[in-house]
Amino acid sequence: MGTSTRKRQLLVLRHAPYHGAAARAAVDLALAMAAFEQDVELLFLGDGVLQLLKDQAADALGRKSLGRILSSLPLYDIERVYVDAAALARFAIAADALVLPVEPLAEAEIHALMNACDQLVSC
Amino acid sequence: MIYTLLVLSSPGAGHGARTAADFALTAIGRGHTINRVFFLDEGVDAGCAAVVYPQDESTPLDNWAALAEEHAVELVLCISSALKRGLLDSSEAQRYDKPAATVHPAFSIGGLGQLIEAAAGADRLMTFGG
Amino acid sequence: MLPPGAFDREGFLRNLQDWSPEVAQQIAAAEGIELEQAHWEIIELLRDYYARFDSSPAMRPLVKYCAQQLGPDKGKSIYLLRLFPGSPAKIGSKIAGLPKPDNCL
Repeated sequence: MGTSTRKRQLLVLRHAPYHGAAARAAVDLALAMAAFEQDVELLFLGDGVLQLLKDQAADALGRKSLGRILSSLPLYDIERVYVDAAALARFAIAADALVLPVEPLAEAEIHALMNACDQLVSC
Repeated sequence: MIYTLLVLSSPGAGHGARTAADFALTAIGRGHTINRVFFLDEGVDAGCAAVVYPQDESTPLDNWAALAEEHAVELVLCISSALKRGLLDSSEAQRYDKPAATVHPAFSIGGLGQLIEAAAGADRLMTFGG
Repeated sequence: MLPPGAFDREGFLRNLQDWSPEVAQQIAAAEGIELEQAHWEIIELLRDYYARFDSSPAMRPLVKYCAQQLGPDKGKSIYLLRLFPGSPAKIGSKIAGLPKPDNCL
């Protein structure tokens, strides 16, 4: 791959887990970026925080559990996972009710993170 | 400037896909390079060869086909998004025993690595729709 | 032994419920692999990975999962390549009866 400089990349996951296939596509992108050894960090924003809930009964929808897939992120060496603290509060979700250890960020911190990254993909 | 474009929305939903094609054409006109356009999730609908629009409306497919044919812009549909929507080229149609290929020849089908590789070699990654 | 019609043209199971250890041997034989204890350990690990993470692993997470579950000597790509030459994650998953990959990775 013709990467000359290493870019700090941020993938922003904004969609609720089972509304269409957008959330799954974004998770696949995260895994692919890691498999191709990109320097990627994830931010779950707004409705996207729902992807991280434990015990998603996805089989009732005939779908695969995004929560379970996301719990494999450490095996892909994706270590930096941030969540929108305001969205967690809005949905009354505790950070320890999620499938992964995450770092909750306030709005100002989210802005700073986005500014600090070289490339941002939002889907 | 080298751009990679990522298209997330269907031509039928909002203006993201059309804006992406307009952006690509304008950028090329100003001497920039589009190293690849990658279509993900509902964005892959852009590659359907079988769409029929009324004669007095413009067909989004024509804009993409022109970009591919006149400016050699590479148009790649995410394989997993494409398969779920019945968008198959002839080799995938054969691979899954399906009756027809439905992807327009201006497009190819590929993995997410194609997006990652293009973005790694671009100055900017621009996302449209979604 | 399953009849040839149970597999698609690339040798993947059409119906994942058909999988059994005997079927694994049949798929492996078609790939030119004779299954020994070391192969079975990885096949079980792949099935366990799929049940736990609802997905088939790419090479990198497979290596890491092997290291976690089976120890550092087996958590190496060279070890997996010896057992499943070419593309261990893909061939191993095929023998383990996991879903046919869509070539996304």
